[in-house]
Amino acid sequence: MLAKIREFIKDETKCERIDLPENTKMRVQDFDLWYDDTQALKSVDMDVEEYKVTAIIGPSGCGKSTLIRSLNRMNDTIPSVRTEGKVWLDGYNVYDEVTDCVDIRRKVGMVFQKPNPFPFSIEDNVFYGCEVNGMDMDKEKKVKKCLKDAALWEEVNDRLDENALSLSGGQQQRLCIARALATEPEVILMDEPCSALDPIATAKIEDLIDELKNHYTVVIVTHNMQQAARVSDYTAYMYLGELIEFGDTTQIFENPQENSTEKYITGRFG
Amino acid sequence: MSLRKVLALWIFIISISVAIYGFWNIYSISEVEYWTMVASLFLISSACYASGIHHHIISKGQKGLPMLVYGTLLLSVAAFSMYLPTPIDLRPWDIYVRIPNRFFFSLFMLLSGLFGAYLSFRPYYDYKKEGAQVGAYYIFHLTLLFTLLPLFLVIFNIITRGIGGITWEFLTKDIVRMGEEGGVFPAILGTLAMVSLTAVIVLPLGVGTAIYLSEYAKKGLAVRVIRTAVNILQGTPSIVHGLFGYAFFVLFLFDGRKCLLAGSLTLAILTLPIVTRSAEEALNAVPSELRDASLALGATKWETIKNVVLPPSLPGILTGTVLGLGRAAGETAPIMFTAVYFSGAGTPSSLFRPIQALPYHLLSLYRLIGYRDVEQQAWATALLLLLIVLGINFTAIIVREKYRQRF
Repeated sequence: MLAKIREFIKDETKCERIDLPENTKMRVQDFDLWYDDTQALKSVDMDVEEYKVTAIIGPSGCGKSTLIRSLNRMNDTIPSVRTEGKVWLDGYNVYDEVTDCVDIRRKVGMVFQKPNPFPFSIEDNVFYGCEVNGMDMDKEKKVKKCLKDAALWEEVNDRLDENALSLSGGQQQRLCIARALATEPEVILMDEPCSALDPIATAKIEDLIDELKNHYTVVIVTHNMQQAARVSDYTAYMYLGELIEFGDTTQIFENPQENSTEKYITGRFG
Repeated sequence: MSLRKVLALWIFIISISVAIYGFWNIYSISEVEYWTMVASLFLISSACYASGIHHHIISKGQKGLPMLVYGTLLLSVAAFSMYLPTPIDLRPWDIYVRIPNRFFFSLFMLLSGLFGAYLSFRPYYDYKKEGAQVGAYYIFHLTLLFTLLPLFLVIFNIITRGIGGITWEFLTKDIVRMGEEGGVFPAILGTLAMVSLTAVIVLPLGVGTAIYLSEYAKKGLAVRVIRTAVNILQGTPSIVHGLFGYAFFVLFLFDGRKCLLAGSLTLAILTLPIVTRSAEEALNAVPSELRDASLALGATKWETIKNVVLPPSLPGILTGTVLGLGRAAGETAPIMFTAVYFSGAGTPSSLFRPIQALPYHLLSLYRLIGYRDVEQQAWATALLLLLIVLGINFTAIIVREKYRQRF
């Protein structure tokens, strides 16, 4: 497994390493993040289990999107962001100097809140990741496989050369998932993937997440507590930049240890 | 019909007449007759007083006040205008220009007439809010008309006077006897060559600057300085560009020889801010979600710009560039010291030889009017230049409409 992940390390001898427990894919360790002078994450510790779905819930502005974007260094694109602490992926520090953040993002794919397909054809959208990463493979086969994995093949197989923007919102979001799958990631981050979708499209995405966890590790941020309860195996509850509680989804929802978690889950605030 | 409505109609009719009269005086070369203007100003001000007093005193309302103020204003202008000094003559250089100070007076009549017409709607609608609303609606439409009319007048004028001079010979023959005979073929070719060369120079520079500003630069002092510099460059008078081009390109780079390349470089500096700004706007219009999507798939920043950001913004960039080139094609000042000879040059043959260009040829012809029989040729050249500039701008519109991108 280590051999698969090493590509993103420029110089392995210099990279910091730890041994993660078995089945732990990623670990966030004492992680702080500032936007200029505003601290958005306060020493967050969290483990992400392999081949499971981990949900992050919490009220608006609690830092859940910031946290999920930290897992594949997407926050690096924001100039005002400063970070401290570590994020381990298979025992390698994602924030190490010798880590290539571009390659990290290939291994840790991401799906965004608003469906954001490129204004290209459907197949070009799916194949984009392979193209920029120089993955030499049969385009037709690859596109077909990814669209099937994203449960979109049946709906679009007769119009692969059409502009992706002609798809419905739910289809666009599944196309974005297919696009993320094309770079063969090991972890898939989903930042409120259903918040712009109607209930039927949401149900399809949720079914898809259930499928995906057989082959991928999934981290999902959601506003919708029922959704977290339905799709996830582990749940993290965040409030004001701190990780208040983390544990089994059933335990978090049925027997929360923290007062704040219970209040939020029972709908008394947030 | 109540007295107030009659007064309002009276103010409206007189105001509109004053506005039209003032407008006509701005664009006509005929002498303005003072007494008509003065008398009409007195007429409106008296009507304004009547309406204002009617509402302010008889009806005990407060809203007649604007009328009284407006009436007083007009009255004082009318009184002042009777003591206006005679028109001023300006003799800059060798061109004889006569700017009557009545121009400003006419402009004032136009604006004041529009304002009076706007005010007249209120008493007509019994001082209800609706009056101001309806007034504003019509007055802004009128303003639009007064803005567009000069444009059409200019185009119409040039077309009717120039069309007779456009013949096959005029389009294809060399310039003979400083334009009195022959055609303007070298000037057409010169303009097109210079504008194309400008495009080749300015496009990479402008788009490169825009990509740096929009994609790479951190928002901070440096970017603000660059952007301000670009804006200042855009506000610089074109004659300054011309003098810079002469000092730097002609004297320093090309040993004092005017040439096509020096002209194009100068025009490139002139159009650079237009291209940079429109390109930056086009790049900023691409949603940041698309950049995120591309980065999240493991693309580098440059791959993201190349594949995702540039293609959809290309129509916008091209539109801005073409509009900038349209401006460059019509400029005289930047090229007169850097690229053109007084009607002497033939068809452009080398980057390092002087050329002839349409705007400068037009200037030469204009200077000859009175000494030689070139008026028809001058109008025809003006029409040709207008057509080329309009054609370039029209291309920009077509490009934009055809490749308009939605997200």
